[in-house]
Amino acid sequence: MRLTSRLLVSTAVVALMGPAAFAEEFDWRKFEGTEITWAYDIHPYADAVVAYLDEFEELTGIKVNAELYPDDTYWGKLNIQLSTGSPDWDVVGTGIQPAWDVTPAGQLEPLRGLVDDPSMTNPDYDYADFFPALTRAWTWDVAEEKIIDTPDGEIWGIPHAFENMQLMYRMDILERLGVEPPSTLPELTAACEQITAADPNVTPMAVRGVRFWSSIHTAPISIAQSYGVSDFVGSGDDLDTALDSADSIRFHKDYVAMIQACAPDSWANDNWYQVVDGLSTGKTAMAVDANMFGFWNNIEGASDASGQIAFAPPLTAPDNDEFASNIWIWSLAINAASEHKGAGWYFIQWATSKEMNVRGATDGKLVNPPRASAWETQEWIDYANQPEFNNFYDTFNAVQEKTSLLFTPRYGFGTAMNAWAVAMQDMVGGADVEERLAELAEDIRDELN
Amino acid sequence: MAHRKARSGNAFLLVSLLPAVLILGGFVLLFFWGFYQSLTDMRFGRTRVDFEGLGNYTRLFGRGRFWDSVSATAIYAFSAVACEAILGLAIAKLFNTRALLARWFRPTILLPLVLPPLSVALMWTTMMNPETGVLNYFLSFIGISNFSWTSKSETAMFAVVFIDVWTFTPFFALIIFAGLRGIAPEIIEGARMSGAKAWGIFWRIELPMVLPYILLASLFRLIDSLNQFDIIFGTTQGGPGNATDVLSVSAYFTAFQNLYFGRGAAIMIVNWLIVLISAIVLVKLWQFTRKRVI
Repeated sequence: MRLTSRLLVSTAVVALMGPAAFAEEFDWRKFEGTEITWAYDIHPYADAVVAYLDEFEELTGIKVNAELYPDDTYWGKLNIQLSTGSPDWDVVGTGIQPAWDVTPAGQLEPLRGLVDDPSMTNPDYDYADFFPALTRAWTWDVAEEKIIDTPDGEIWGIPHAFENMQLMYRMDILERLGVEPPSTLPELTAACEQITAADPNVTPMAVRGVRFWSSIHTAPISIAQSYGVSDFVGSGDDLDTALDSADSIRFHKDYVAMIQACAPDSWANDNWYQVVDGLSTGKTAMAVDANMFGFWNNIEGASDASGQIAFAPPLTAPDNDEFASNIWIWSLAINAASEHKGAGWYFIQWATSKEMNVRGATDGKLVNPPRASAWETQEWIDYANQPEFNNFYDTFNAVQEKTSLLFTPRYGFGTAMNAWAVAMQDMVGGADVEERLAELAEDIRDELN
Repeated sequence: MAHRKARSGNAFLLVSLLPAVLILGGFVLLFFWGFYQSLTDMRFGRTRVDFEGLGNYTRLFGRGRFWDSVSATAIYAFSAVACEAILGLAIAKLFNTRALLARWFRPTILLPLVLPPLSVALMWTTMMNPETGVLNYFLSFIGISNFSWTSKSETAMFAVVFIDVWTFTPFFALIIFAGLRGIAPEIIEGARMSGAKAWGIFWRIELPMVLPYILLASLFRLIDSLNQFDIIFGTTQGGPGNATDVLSVSAYFTAFQNLYFGRGAAIMIVNWLIVLISAIVLVKLWQFTRKRVI
C-alpha cells in the first residue's frame, strides 16, 4: 500500500512536470577533457577563429588543435583524410562543391540531428539566422551516389563565412580616365576599350582564367545567369546541359569579346592571387571576383588601394537589368570518421555563433559574415560603413538579395565545370564559339550518360 | 661441416636479399594494382567499384583529346631531350677546353638541377608573365614586345620545353663531359699528328665515342620528360585550352579533379607503355653504339 501510494505520487509529479524534466539540458562542459583537431585553409577566416580559441577551451574544456595548410595542399590532404576514413581530423573546413563529391560515400557527418537536438545545441544558436541562400545550399540528401536537392534534406556543413561575386573597381583610376562603372557586359567591353585608349599601361579588367571550375564560379556563372544560361537544365534522369543553346552562344560571344578587350595577356594563367594583386597595386582598374577581396584591400594601411575600391553588382546581359551573384561558402563540417563528433559539433556551433560572427567581422577578417543578424548589428554596421570601405555595405545588401549558389548540385560536378573552363580558354584563344560550345556540350552529355 | 657452412651461407644470402625482394615485390604489386584500377570504374567518393574490362581504354582511344595529349607528350619530351642533347654537347665541349668561360661555368652548371621542379616552374611563371615578367623586358631590347610565353596556346608548348631545357641541359652536359674526358688523349693526339682538323676530330672521333653517353643521358631524360608533371602543372596546368595537356597532367585532372580514378589510371598505363617502348628503343640504340665504340 505504501509502495503503491509512493508510486502514484511520483507518477503525478512526473506528469505535472512534463517530459522536459528528463530532457538533458545543453551544457557547454559536456565534452570537457576531449581533444579535437580542426583542419582548415590558411585564411583570414581561420585567423578569425584562432584568435579566440583560448576562450572556447576555457568555456568548454575541449582542447582544439588547429591544423592550417596552404590552399593547394589543404584540398589534397582533405580528400585523402576523408576518403581513407582517417579519424585524425574531427572538424574540417570545406565548401559546398567539394562536399557534393564526398557526401554520397558518407564521408561527412549529417548535422540535422545535432542542430535539432536541444541537448546538443545551445538554445541561443539560432540556425535560422543564417542567410537562407546559404543554409539552403548546404541542404540535400544522397541516394544511389546522387545528390538529391531538397530543402528538407540533410545539413552537411555550417556556413562560417562567405564570398559573393561583385564588380570591384578602382575609383581613382576610373575617375582619372573619365570612365563610368559599367553595368552590362557590352558596356564593360566598351569601358575597357576606353581605358586602353586613355592609358595603355592600365589593364582594364582582371578575372580568373585558369582551367579549373574556380574560373567559372566567379564571373561567368554569375553573368551567364542574366543571359538565361545555367550550367544544367532539367533534373534527375532528364538533366542536360544547355551550354550549346542560343542564349549560351550569345553570352559566350559577349564574354569572349570582353576578355579579349579587357583582360591581361596572362589571363589563362590568372587565379585569384593575380586578380587581387592587379586591383590592389593599381595595375588593374576593375575585377569581378569575391567581394571580400575589395574589402580587405580597403582596410586602412592594408594596401596601396586602401579606400579606393568601390563595389557594384555583377554585370548583366544588355537587355536584362536582373543580375545574379554566385557564392562560395567556407563552412565547417564533421568528418564522418571522427571519434569526437560531439566535441566537434560544440566547436562548430561556437565558431559559427552570433557572437563569433560579429567579432570576426569587426576584426576585419570574417567577411562576409553569414548570419543575417550580424548585418543588423550596430557594431558591424558602424565598422563596415567606415569611409575607407566606400559602398561595401550597401552593395552587399543589394547583391545579397540576388545571391545564391548558381551551380546545379551534382556528384562529380567538377568534370563538366572544368571542361567549361578549358573551352573558355580555347574560345578566348580564337576557337569558334559555336563549334567549341557544341563540342563542350557533347563532352558533358557523354559524361552524363 | 662444410655442408653446414654452405647451408648457413645460403640462409644469410636469402635474409640479405629479402628486403630487396620485398621492396621489388611492393613495386610490382603497386603497378598491378594501378593496372587493375584502370580496368574498373573507380571514382573518388563512391563506394561501389565495378569491373569494366577494357572500357576505359576504348573510351580513351575514341576521344580526339586523348590523342592530342599523346601528341603533346611526344612533342614535349622529344623536343626537350633533343635540345638538351645538342646544348649539353656544346657545353660539354666548352668544359673540355681551358677557356676562361669554362672555368666560370663549371661550378654553377649544377644549380638548375638542384632546384625542385615546382620551384623552377613558379620562378619561370613569374619571369614569363607577358606584362610584368623580366623576359619580355629583355626581349623589348631586340624589338620583340608582348611575347605570350605560357599565356597563349601558340607559344605555351615552346615555353614549357624552354623551361625543361634550362633545367636539365646541365645533366646532359655533365654526362657528356665525363664521356669526353674518358677519351684517351693519345687518340686525339694521333689524329692531330695525322693532320685531322678540329671539326674532323669532333665529327669522326669524339662524337662517335661520346654517343653512348648521349644516348644514356637521353634514356634517363626521356623517361623523365615523358612523365613530366611538375613543370607543366606549375606553369600552364595543361593549358591554355589543351595546348600542353600532356598525359601525366591529363591523368591528374581525370583522377583528382574529375574524380575518375579508373580513367586516370588508364591514361597512366598508356603513358607507361609509351615510356617503356621509347626506353627499349633507346637501350637498343645505346647497345648498338656501345658495341661500335668498343
